[in-house]
Amino acid sequence: MAASMAVSRGIRWLGTAAWRVTPVGARAASGLSKDMLPGPYPRTPEERAAAAKKYNMRVEDYEPYPDDGFGYGDYPKLPDHSQHERDPWYDWDHSELRLNWGEPMHFDFDMYTRNRVDTSPTPVSWNTMCKHFFGFFGFMMFMFWLGEVFPSYRPVAPKQYPYNNLYLERGGDPNVEPEPVIHYEI
Amino acid sequence: MSALRRLGPFLREGGRRFLEGPSERTADCGIGAVRYAGSGVHIQPRYRQYPQLTKSQVFQAELLSATMWFWILWRFWHDSDAVLGHFPYPDPSQWTDEELGIPPDDED
Amino acid sequence: MNFMLNSMILLSIVILTLPLMINLAFPHKTNHFPAYCKNAVKLAFLTSLPPLILFVYADTSHHTTWSHHTSINTLNLSMSFKLDHFSIIFIPIAFYVTWSILEFSLWYMHTDPKIHQFFKYLITFLLTMIILVSANNLFQLFIGWEGVGIMSFMLIGWWYGRSDANTAALQAVLYNRIGDIGFMLTMAWLMINNNSWDLQHIFMTNMNTLALLGLIIAATGKSAQFGLHPWLPSAMEGPTPVSALLHSSTMVVAGIFLLIRFHPMMENNNTALTTALCLGATTTLFTAMCAITQNDIKKIVAFSTSSQLGLMMVTIGLNQPHLAFLHICTHAFFKAMLFLCSGSIIHSLNNEQDIRKMGGLLHILPITSSALMTGSLALMGTPFLAGFYSKDSIIEAMNTSYINSWAMVMTLIATSLTAIYSLRIIYFALLNQPRFPPMSPINENNPNLTNPITRLALGSIFAAFILTMNIPPTSMVPMTMPPALKLTALIVTIIGLIIPMELNLLINKLPTTPMIHTDNFSNMLGYFTHLFHRMYPLANLQMGQHIATMLIDLNWYEKTGPKGQANLHNTTSSYITSTQKGLIKTYFLSFIITIPAIFAMIT
Repeated sequence: MAASMAVSRGIRWLGTAAWRVTPVGARAASGLSKDMLPGPYPRTPEERAAAAKKYNMRVEDYEPYPDDGFGYGDYPKLPDHSQHERDPWYDWDHSELRLNWGEPMHFDFDMYTRNRVDTSPTPVSWNTMCKHFFGFFGFMMFMFWLGEVFPSYRPVAPKQYPYNNLYLERGGDPNVEPEPVIHYEI
Repeated sequence: MSALRRLGPFLREGGRRFLEGPSERTADCGIGAVRYAGSGVHIQPRYRQYPQLTKSQVFQAELLSATMWFWILWRFWHDSDAVLGHFPYPDPSQWTDEELGIPPDDED
Repeated sequence: MNFMLNSMILLSIVILTLPLMINLAFPHKTNHFPAYCKNAVKLAFLTSLPPLILFVYADTSHHTTWSHHTSINTLNLSMSFKLDHFSIIFIPIAFYVTWSILEFSLWYMHTDPKIHQFFKYLITFLLTMIILVSANNLFQLFIGWEGVGIMSFMLIGWWYGRSDANTAALQAVLYNRIGDIGFMLTMAWLMINNNSWDLQHIFMTNMNTLALLGLIIAATGKSAQFGLHPWLPSAMEGPTPVSALLHSSTMVVAGIFLLIRFHPMMENNNTALTTALCLGATTTLFTAMCAITQNDIKKIVAFSTSSQLGLMMVTIGLNQPHLAFLHICTHAFFKAMLFLCSGSIIHSLNNEQDIRKMGGLLHILPITSSALMTGSLALMGTPFLAGFYSKDSIIEAMNTSYINSWAMVMTLIATSLTAIYSLRIIYFALLNQPRFPPMSPINENNPNLTNPITRLALGSIFAAFILTMNIPPTSMVPMTMPPALKLTALIVTIIGLIIPMELNLLINKLPTTPMIHTDNFSNMLGYFTHLFHRMYPLANLQMGQHIATMLIDLNWYEKTGPKGQANLHNTTSSYITSTQKGLIKTYFLSFIITIPAIFAMIT
């Protein structure tokens, strides 16, 4: 009896817990509501100004993605810079993301967070880096091939044993005289 | 059996002492109720000067280095083969005709 | 005798789980928990010593099956331990090193609010490593393998509030996953061809090159060989005791250990051996090159670890697994100690890791300095210290083997670079005038700091001698060689000491050159991280993002979905309507078309 009570209570608890974790109005993150989606592509200057205002940007800075059917809508096209590139000493509202409140986010923001893609400038240009690294790697590979062709070794002879290299012990015929070993050439 | 039972408290206390280690006495490891900056002598920080060292510290350091050098030199004295080579390497140019079994030139 | 050996070594493993159990049973009694952990490991070390002595004198090797785990059709999985040469020697060493590291972290992590969790992680880390080392079947080995990976992720990301630490932890776990693919490949291959994961059964079969390359990939990931190496220097984001444990006796040697375990399979396959040799030579040179221009003391030591791992890989490639194992053992002592010394320096200078801001520590941290010197000398292979017994033998074996000459030259150059970066640490950190702020709370008189360092220093002076004297070599190492070859390791190291000293004297008289390509190459880690950590995530994430959020919508909603349908219907209907001209003749003709069509379908 007590067990069945406990079971029924457990089931009820599970039901309420399920309700608690998914509130009635909640929906999956994939289903964006209308006002969360970007609006239609702005064509007139007024629409542009409205869109810029919507994204907290100045009209001069606002530049939408080209309307090529990918569904960017009026989302602003921001420069492809990672968050890692930003000033680490500035007092960001979200110091972890290096982001201020209400600041427009890059369309691929989740790609440009600090532990993913990094686009910060490097002391050496990309081309030079590629050239040097792959040059180094290719050179090593080539030299390994060369090293394989001309290996390094110490000359050694097969191990020799006394009694004519163990002639009898290796099952040689005792009646036949073993070939004398010659260590030289003339 | 009763003798064994009398051993109980000793074992319990001993085991606790062992598991807790020296923390009970010096109270410097783990998170004890009392915290010290470190055990042993308190060293006063000094401005623009090297901090003071205790004698035992210097002695330990010297002892450690001395052990190392003693070990290196001692082993080198007794076991220099390991560095310089165990066996002489045969030099083919020194081999005589006799050793190689080459008959003298005027044999034929 | 055997019973005692088995039971004591298993007992030592069980002792290791005690602190974890205590913590499970009494989760709130955490006051002395760190000290409990330390003493448990100490006890485990003492318990594992008698089996080692027994092993040395009785020379037994066997495996013990504990419990039958599960059977799937014809496959038996059981929990069994392989207690042979490797595991019996390795376990006490791992315990000894971890004991010292735990004692050190009592001091280093003293103020951390989650210190008991930290100790629990360290113990679990060690436990998984021991499982890996003593496993007798691949499944159990895999548990240890993955456990080590996960625990390294948790420990490297210990300060999870920092983005860099998170990145480093992610790097470690992702690079290890790449290596795991190789391991899985081998496991799958064995399952298909052998239907057994027991090591005895595996050793009776012949593994082909593919399976062995899988093992090498696994070792590349775990042991940070060239190509999958960047996680190892990044792992320096973790606390110093973690670095010490990670880089000395656990985790990074797991890959090499796997290859050592499989040496009966490797030794007949020339492709696998050559691959290992070239991979090891590239790693040891590349990481040594990176080490010589780093300024972070922990990074230098990390790269030196990587370089030594490359050397171990070279030794695997030379088909001398026992020498590689010896190098693992000796390396554990002095590398753990180098990390503890750098931890001591970092802590004493208020978390200053840059060697340019140190100097003069010889007068301030005498014990640390002594130990750092000893460790560096042991790392360089000074005669009769720990590094000598393994490194010198490796280089001798290399000189007398029939191997790739370029790999040999590269390894020798890397050996001389070892001396350069070790000297660099000593020169910048210990000698000269201090370059740190004048008010530093330097305090080196805590026994929890000095005891482990001293203990490991003694270990790196004597341990290798004790090991090599008591454990007979199991593989043939050539003993006779010309003096030039015998002295190569020493000569190369001395050259490596003299050249930077001369350069250092010379450099003050030369005009500075701001941009040098070689300096940049070395300082930016050979551009490897810059190239690959930007290229691959960008390509993958951009492609994934665009396919997931845009191309699919574009395809299904626009091109093939409703809009596509509408388009299709529009165009077809506009074509069809043009034929409708109201001529009855056309309609009758279309009826005629249907009749042959029906006939065609029937026949």
